[in-house]
Amino acid sequence: MILEWIRFIVGTIILCCGLLIFALEVFGVFRFDFVLNRMHAAAMGDTLGIGISLIGLIIFSGFNFTSLKMFLVVIFLWFASPVSSHLIGRLEVTTDEELENYCEIEDNCQP
Amino acid sequence: MKRKNNAFFRWFFGEEDTLIGKVEMKAQPEYEQKEGEIRELMEERAQLREQIYDVRDNTKLKLFHKMYNIAAVIFCITLISILLVNVSWLPHYGDGDNPVNNEVSARYIESGLQETGAVNIVTGMILDYRAFDTFGESNVLFIATVTVLILMRLDKEKKAPAKPGVEVYSKAEDDMTMTIAEAQANDRIYEPKNDAILQKVAGFLVPIIFIFGIYVVLNGHLSPGGGFSGGAIIGAGLILYLNAFGFEKTERFFTEKTYKWICFVALTFYCLAKSYSFFTGANHLESGIPLGTPGAIVSSGLILPLNICVGMVVACTMYAFYALFRKGGF
Amino acid sequence: MSPVLENAYHVVFVGALIFLAVMLIFCFIRAVRGPRVADRIVAVNMIGTIVMVIITILSLLLKEGYLADICIIYAMISFLAVIVLTKVYMGVYFEKKQKGEKK
Repeated sequence: MILEWIRFIVGTIILCCGLLIFALEVFGVFRFDFVLNRMHAAAMGDTLGIGISLIGLIIFSGFNFTSLKMFLVVIFLWFASPVSSHLIGRLEVTTDEELENYCEIEDNCQP
Repeated sequence: MKRKNNAFFRWFFGEEDTLIGKVEMKAQPEYEQKEGEIRELMEERAQLREQIYDVRDNTKLKLFHKMYNIAAVIFCITLISILLVNVSWLPHYGDGDNPVNNEVSARYIESGLQETGAVNIVTGMILDYRAFDTFGESNVLFIATVTVLILMRLDKEKKAPAKPGVEVYSKAEDDMTMTIAEAQANDRIYEPKNDAILQKVAGFLVPIIFIFGIYVVLNGHLSPGGGFSGGAIIGAGLILYLNAFGFEKTERFFTEKTYKWICFVALTFYCLAKSYSFFTGANHLESGIPLGTPGAIVSSGLILPLNICVGMVVACTMYAFYALFRKGGF
Repeated sequence: MSPVLENAYHVVFVGALIFLAVMLIFCFIRAVRGPRVADRIVAVNMIGTIVMVIITILSLLLKEGYLADICIIYAMISFLAVIVLTKVYMGVYFEKKQKGEKK
């Protein structure tokens, strides 16, 4: 009986941490001035937020098949989300005309 | 089927037209325009301009245009109000004695598990009770791909130079069609030039996507899924591979021949599996395959092979649409 | 499980859902307002991730195990969407540049 309550409390705390990270991410996407900063905030917030939230939900649901699927989601997203942000950053760097004004680009970078 | 060197194959592959010079009985004279015709043409054009296109001077025409706009709006409003009044007379959604909750759906829900052996009633319905509808849908997907192929396919080699004696209907500089070589050169500006990060990650993720797609296809009769959604996932995996590695590597294992053979085998198997009842007298739509225990993967008769067939057709269709719109070929 | 615990689970899940729905609306605002194309792609990606968490919470709330499959499918499709969109926009940019140089 006590075990159930411990599981509930631990799961709630971790889930609330995950939701807090999402809130910080949305706040960051609104407050930054440049596109690349916003993309950085979104990428970090997405990956970490969904990792922690889904770990909290795995604790909620216990030890069954559904938890395994959620773990697979976490693994897939931890591989796929950084690649998405890399491609978006590449798009921004190649199509922005005034990038030199506020950003330093090294010499041997290819778009 | 090997290609032999007789007249049929030469006509089939477009090298020789057997009817040129043999259809007309005598040669036609050249076209000369008579003198009165030019004047008639100009008069006709002036008449048209005056009565149909001249909006400034012709008052009847102006009035007609204004009345046309008003009448169109009134007609639309009337039609919409009639349809809305009809909709308000329909029974409440989800009511017990709606005509849709009749004996057919009651029969499907009650004896669905027993007669088809599928735990998921929806899959049991679309692949057992109403299997012909699903067959028609798979055929529609195939026809759609063939239509897109006809419209968007590009020629492999250079366009054939004009033969003497054959009229060319468009000038060379107005011709906007491309060959496949030109399209590939055009496509280089779209590819982000062999992105190493994307290639490494795609090499890891594409097998996972395929395995997950196969899992969804095979579990069609146990949990929501089935051929259509599983096929879409496999198609998405193929598109990811194409985006990461380019066209040449994908053509190593997926060419037009592959597409043709997969669709042919899948649709023929479906047709033979479900139309044998025409030959056995169409008395019962049962198959001889035993149903097995519900809840196991190998159960419910023919539903598992049919799911696989539908999945293959859907996956090929998704990949074919993407490749045809992007490059004009496979 | 005791009814107190069930009630507690229900409250936590519904509260999280409402919070995430509000976050979603903010992401929409960024998608509509963002001055460049990359802003919009980033916002759509974020909307996809938040929807994934919503679907997982729903699958625990309704006690149906198969909704987690939809989560994986959504992740794959949104990843693929970002790849194809960036490729298309880079191609459009290069084409315009080439046409500008030709003239």
